[in-house]
Amino acid sequence: MTALLWGKGLIGRLSGRLLGAMAGVAITVALLASLGAFIASGAASMTRRAIAEVPVDWQIQLAPGAEANAVRAALARTAPGATVESVGYAEAAGFTAGTGGTVQTTGPGKVLGIRPGYRTRFPAEIRPLIGVPEGVLLAQQTAANLHVTAGDRVTIRRVGLPPVAVRVDGIVDLPFADSLFQAVGAPSGAAPQAPPDNVMLLPLDRWHGLFDPQAALRPDSVRMQLHVRVPHTLPADPAQAYTEVWRSAHHLEALIAGSGVVANNLAARLLGARGDALYADVLFVFLGLPGVTLAILLTFAVAASGTDRRRREQALLRIRGASTGQLLRLESVEALIVGIGGIAPGIGMAILAGRIVVPAGDSPKGPAAVWMAVAASAGLAVAIASVLYPAWAQARRSPWIAARAMVGPRGAPLWQRVYLDAISLGAAAAAFWMTARSGYQVVLAPEGIAQSSVSYLAFLAPICLWIGAGLLAARLAERALVRGQWMLDRLLRPLAGRLARIVAASMGRRRSLIARGIVLVAVALSFAVSTAVFNTTYNAQARIDAELTNGADVTVTGSTTSPAGSRLAELRALPGVLAAQPMQHRFAYVGNDLQDLYGIDPAHLAEAVRMSDAYFAGGHARDMLAALAAQPEGVLVSEETVRDYQLKPGDRINLRLQSARDHQYHVVPFHFVGVVREFPTAPKDSFLVADAAYIARQTGTSAAEVVLLRTRGSPAEVAAHARAVVRALPGIRVTDIGSTQRALDSTLTAIDLHGLTAQELTFAVLLVAGAAGLVLALELAERRRTFAILSALGATDAQRASFLWSEGLVILTGGILIGTATGFAVARMLVALLTGVFDPPPQSLAVPWVYLTVLAAAAIAATAAAVLGAQTASRRPPVDALRDL
Amino acid sequence: MTGPYGSRTPEPRATLGAGNPAPEKPPGLALVTAHGVGRRYGRGASAVVALASATCTVAPGDRIALMGPSGSGKSTLLYLMGGLETPTSGEISWPALGARDTLRPGRVAFVFQMPSLLPPLSVVENAELPLLLQGSDVAAARRSALVALERMNLAGLADKLPEELSGGQAQRVAMARALAAGPALILADEPTGQLDHRTAGHVLDVACEALKGTPAALVIATHDPVVAARMDVVWRIHHGVLQGPSR
Repeated sequence: MTALLWGKGLIGRLSGRLLGAMAGVAITVALLASLGAFIASGAASMTRRAIAEVPVDWQIQLAPGAEANAVRAALARTAPGATVESVGYAEAAGFTAGTGGTVQTTGPGKVLGIRPGYRTRFPAEIRPLIGVPEGVLLAQQTAANLHVTAGDRVTIRRVGLPPVAVRVDGIVDLPFADSLFQAVGAPSGAAPQAPPDNVMLLPLDRWHGLFDPQAALRPDSVRMQLHVRVPHTLPADPAQAYTEVWRSAHHLEALIAGSGVVANNLAARLLGARGDALYADVLFVFLGLPGVTLAILLTFAVAASGTDRRRREQALLRIRGASTGQLLRLESVEALIVGIGGIAPGIGMAILAGRIVVPAGDSPKGPAAVWMAVAASAGLAVAIASVLYPAWAQARRSPWIAARAMVGPRGAPLWQRVYLDAISLGAAAAAFWMTARSGYQVVLAPEGIAQSSVSYLAFLAPICLWIGAGLLAARLAERALVRGQWMLDRLLRPLAGRLARIVAASMGRRRSLIARGIVLVAVALSFAVSTAVFNTTYNAQARIDAELTNGADVTVTGSTTSPAGSRLAELRALPGVLAAQPMQHRFAYVGNDLQDLYGIDPAHLAEAVRMSDAYFAGGHARDMLAALAAQPEGVLVSEETVRDYQLKPGDRINLRLQSARDHQYHVVPFHFVGVVREFPTAPKDSFLVADAAYIARQTGTSAAEVVLLRTRGSPAEVAAHARAVVRALPGIRVTDIGSTQRALDSTLTAIDLHGLTAQELTFAVLLVAGAAGLVLALELAERRRTFAILSALGATDAQRASFLWSEGLVILTGGILIGTATGFAVARMLVALLTGVFDPPPQSLAVPWVYLTVLAAAAIAATAAAVLGAQTASRRPPVDALRDL
Repeated sequence: MTGPYGSRTPEPRATLGAGNPAPEKPPGLALVTAHGVGRRYGRGASAVVALASATCTVAPGDRIALMGPSGSGKSTLLYLMGGLETPTSGEISWPALGARDTLRPGRVAFVFQMPSLLPPLSVVENAELPLLLQGSDVAAARRSALVALERMNLAGLADKLPEELSGGQAQRVAMARALAAGPALILADEPTGQLDHRTAGHVLDVACEALKGTPAALVIATHDPVVAARMDVVWRIHHGVLQGPSR
């Protein structure tokens, strides 16, 4: 009955402290539930995307003489309903074509045999460029080497058999050539096999007609594969999906042992998604849990701000005979009210956040509900702990002692005496060093092993840094408030005038409470700053990745026969185009290795493309391009080539380039001037960069296959205009950075990180405002007696305000300074620890100035609101205030 | 003193504090003059009359005990005299002190029944606070505070915090704080209400000793006859009605 009355009284007179504690619980619940739901939805999305990105799930290479039907039957048992296509692979000694009075000959190549319906069943594998998409198809690079197009004749030089001539029906691109021509059955960990330079595709019947004789003569030169798409009814979790697909393929291999081996492309892709999912979990821990922890700390701080009130209430109840148990029962009612009052809006906020950020249909209901339940339980636990623990601690003290107000703790707390702050910082440094020594291997998802793991040691570094920095901030703040009285006196004089010394002294004696405020603001800010900086750095790197892949804001890619550069003037004149730069994309032999060669204008390329220092080794981008401009016959080569050929700066390199005059490859001398790691539009493996004018002179053609555009407005709009300009050019492609970024974004970045950080940043602003404003407001409210006494003594409004503003400003300034510094340190550590999610690794942190300004404004506004609120309350007639206290 | 039923002329006394509490007024002007002053809380049927039509005058040097049971209106009358409350009826003025909003800090000082020292400030800082609020020079304020503490035999406690003091010591510090600014009128609301008779007597003895030689008037609200006996004049108040002195 007493408990009911107590509860009724609490609800009837909802205090700011009660509402603040409810808000803290609500944020805890909302953050935990929405982050959990995000992880669950992100995992499902990762699996779906991973599956969609695989052109062929399984490539089953049949052993020579194996019975294909038996393998198909085994496949039907293992994966009922799977789509299967037979594909022939034959080696060719080369291809020859005669055009324009000259004859071009290529090196060895491959001839694939596919059925007419193959392209429909595996649409991602073949992309038509010129001519018709059926019949005899020639890969783009082969067509360039042979200088042929649709309608021309090409001779296939078979192995051990007479050559045969075919008429080319179309030119195609093979976007997944790496997996299409992979070495099936190669041992795990073997170096990947480069796809062939020359490829032709024939209808399967015709292929059989041409290469069955070759198979009879040279069985090692001809293979048959079954390309399979398995039914995609897989678990939502990438790890479970990977395990299922991996086991299924192994089961099939066991069934067809000796008849074929399986290249499991789907499992390989899911393996990547499994790693991404683990990284998402890691990010959840790194970026999400600090927010939850902070919300819990905030709740505890808000609940603790009622210490004086609790002390008086308990003293009264104890004097009237209440036992500790009875006191705790009454406090339980308050805990329950805080819990229920926080959980309900928290769940509501989580549902709202989920609807805003998670795309419809992406959120699996089951896991989301589980996370809601977990979050609600956590919220209740936080409410109980934050209210009951201080009540219990208070109840253990004598009512006579309890009734007397204490300014602060007498001695240093235990953590200060044992130097827990220094120990934590040392542990952070040690954990970081150990993780760095392991090459920042935070997530381990080894191929072929169902279990994956996360190096939890890596978590220690930021956790210890946070704890250590928070405690060190408390120690330093307390020390500064005591030993820096003279400085505080001077700093506060403009605000407090002659009262500055008194205000400083008052703050020095209340150092624990003020340090707590500073630490709360600092921790909240450091959480927000680190999350924002990490997110911005990540997005910047994602954009650089997209720029690298796409080349520029908009890239127009043609071929030597239909170069995009032929429309350079029109492209440059398009609305929204800031700069346009032509770039040659040719091929050159380095020894026997055919590499991509990019011909650029080194003096002007940077007008259209952002050149990062990370693209080059051993020098800044500007210096490397200047070196190339100063030495026209210079060439930048990849590290692999430098290593393979043991090149030193200045060495002469003889490359073989195709001449436009006779379409033959001729030796062209270059000089090695530097190492290029990455370059716009360039592949990940070896490539070359040289001066376009020199290449034009040596090859007899200045055709620029690519045009790179820097745009002012929307790249998509400029791309649309560019498409209209180059419509007449056959096989030309226009891509913009936005669509490339969307295509490139890993499952991790596309959903989880954006969703995670969007929520994080919103909650971070709330937490900063809460830490700066709510805690201060409640703390000031607890000191109404002080301000009533000041009023009774005759303090003016301005004099009372000087106490309030001084305290608010010290907490805010200290919190901002310490929080920002800690936030950047944590962000730097997170970026280093999470190197695995960055491609390419960032050179420096990207700072979100706008968000940081909003954050600072939120902190300042919350502090101002708290102080102004307290100032307004302090204007109450002192007698009224004193009577109520 | 010119009370409802009697009067006494005070002797001029020197100012204790570094402040400048009372403007230069011709001697003999009353510190407080109240005519039919009343204070009602609330409206209509639920209204409570805390003080009904009190008429009184406080002159410099007066030592007045305001006696009455709890809830009789003692505190209300003190608050009205000190300008902390405004009357709902009648008129109150401070002929020797000036307008109501200039009374504090400096000219009128309060000593409350409840602990009224600011917990985070030391004894000397609490004592100098009214002077600093007045705008006194920081060093001069400290000197005056120390003098006041010395007069109250509290010099040894100057650096202590309120939580380190006994109840009697805390009330003596509150009295010292009131004296430090050299007010013309000290209004003490049951300053010894939470103390035992011996301690209360000691506090008052020390306070009265400290006030010797100052022109300050002292009005103490109390329900303790022992306390009242130490004052020159006793006013009685019952159910909000001021009834007059006992001697």
